[in-house]
Amino acid sequence: MNPRVELENIHKHYGSGDNGVAALQNINITINAAEFVAIEGPSGSGKTTLLSICGLIDSPDKGSYRLNGQDITQINAAQRCTQRRREIGFIFQRHQLIPSMTVYENIAYPLFLNGTKPRDTRQRVEQLLESIGLGHRKKHLPEQLSGGERQRVGIARALVKQPKLVIADEPSANLDHANAETSLTLMRELNREQGASFIIASHDTMIINRCDRKIKLNDGCMENTG
Amino acid sequence: MSWLLIALRNVLRDGKRVVSTVLIIAIGLAALLIRGGFMLATYDALQEIAMRSEGHVIILDDSKAAIGGTHQQLTLEGWQEIQDTLWTDERVHNILPRARFEGLVSNGNSAAMFSGTGIDPKEEFRVWGPFLNTPKGELIDPWLTANELPQIMLGDQLAHTLKAEINDVLTLHSLRPDGQMGALQVRLSGLIRTGTNELDDHSLLASISTVQALFGIDKISQLSIYLENPQDTQTIKQFVQSQFNNIKVQSWQQRAELHDKVKALYDRIFSVMGVIILVVVFLAISNTVALAIYQRRNEIATFGALGTTTTKICANFILEALLIGLTAVLVGMALGYSIANAINLADLWMPAPPGRSEGHPLYIYISLPHYLITAAILMVTTVIAALIATYRATKINIAEALS
Repeated sequence: MNPRVELENIHKHYGSGDNGVAALQNINITINAAEFVAIEGPSGSGKTTLLSICGLIDSPDKGSYRLNGQDITQINAAQRCTQRRREIGFIFQRHQLIPSMTVYENIAYPLFLNGTKPRDTRQRVEQLLESIGLGHRKKHLPEQLSGGERQRVGIARALVKQPKLVIADEPSANLDHANAETSLTLMRELNREQGASFIIASHDTMIINRCDRKIKLNDGCMENTG
Repeated sequence: MSWLLIALRNVLRDGKRVVSTVLIIAIGLAALLIRGGFMLATYDALQEIAMRSEGHVIILDDSKAAIGGTHQQLTLEGWQEIQDTLWTDERVHNILPRARFEGLVSNGNSAAMFSGTGIDPKEEFRVWGPFLNTPKGELIDPWLTANELPQIMLGDQLAHTLKAEINDVLTLHSLRPDGQMGALQVRLSGLIRTGTNELDDHSLLASISTVQALFGIDKISQLSIYLENPQDTQTIKQFVQSQFNNIKVQSWQQRAELHDKVKALYDRIFSVMGVIILVVVFLAISNTVALAIYQRRNEIATFGALGTTTTKICANFILEALLIGLTAVLVGMALGYSIANAINLADLWMPAPPGRSEGHPLYIYISLPHYLITAAILMVTTVIAALIATYRATKINIAEALS
């Protein structure tokens, strides 16, 4: 198996002195291509910090992170931005759709950033819109959608550029059971079709139980891997 | 993907604040346009006064000699020859001789000092145009017979001081070149009013022949050349200088002391006003953009997480600021144009400035280049304000903003 994410001895500390908090300590994780991994743990256990580091929106204080074999800890902010644009898709807890963009534009945005040809963009976005069942809503703004629909758009946006790694932070937190089930099924299907590795932070047992592997965090430390 | 449409949607999201910003900028622009229109109209009027009073090109004697050692300025010789030569030039509209002289004017009971100008009454009043104001009496008759008394016109304040009435016979006294006091009886044909107290207290107009009779000489002070096209001023000036010896040639700009002083004063006053308005516009835009950035931190962080460069994120905010600026510029231009037209149609008058007895009509020029340049300055201010404000967007920590 190709290792996609390799975290070695990762440490992250916030604040300083007596007010300092160790968010992550000695984290060692390897996630392979097309693997669907859950990160579980109570609030404040370091799940979001771990996802931020894996998603290159934060940097570890210590340790090594290799993404697709490249040492990410050695690259600058602009290069991290490029890596995020090309390799990583994000699914946020509160969907984080751009309110001034239509459904179509939100999904197409990552392709636009990567310079995909308009024709290819149109084809790809239309295809995804059909697969998430929102073809008829493509001209709507996010505020005109239900919570479940917004999350499906968020998933489509994360996957439209066929990233090698998808980071999902509590993707079912604001959804009812039926919508959470639909979202997970969608992510699973796209994981199988595209071979993207998924790292999902969640409290939801329904999601955790359907992942290939679980990583448990507590007070910034890994408890076990199952 | 239309970034313009997305920027427009973002601008409309913040309706109330954007409307107030647009109004602040539009009112500021309208104020700048009206201020500028007033400046242009004032400069043009001053330029017109300067050109009409002195001519576009002025020919003087180069020796600066004064007859009789006094302040009389009748020193230009051979002026008829110069006049005859220049009349053949098609670019020349008129050539007027002027003779400056000073002395006393008396009515038998009292006397007052005057500052006189000898003129060609046939041509002189044609160039005065709208500035000719004769509150009482007639212009000097150019066709008087030898049996009739020469005519003069007095400033209305000088006539009032002398208690002189139209057709009164007055006597002019002035120091001649030979040291004798010359005297000449004249008839008062009419009064003139320039609107400047100092001039109306002392001014006197007489024909050149009257001045020559008083002084017994054929010299004048200057020849004023009026051109068909004022843009030929420098060319004609150089031509005249090359054609004749012992003369000094000046353009109207060199003699327009009042024009230059008023322009310098207005430039200073209006520059300060302009800077204040630009600062207000700058603050309005930077405040709007800064608030938008603060309220949309989460959105900016999302853009960052998706791999958008900070340059692109800032460009979006600048595009929004440009849309606001452009809307404000269009509204401001329409507002400025409407107010300027309303002022011009209302026939309002400015109060008389110090030293003058009359005000002048308030007129606001509407000039397309002025509108475009002012709008461009405002747009540049908008972009600079937005650039500085968007700098904050580059400092947002993505992980913190998303958590």
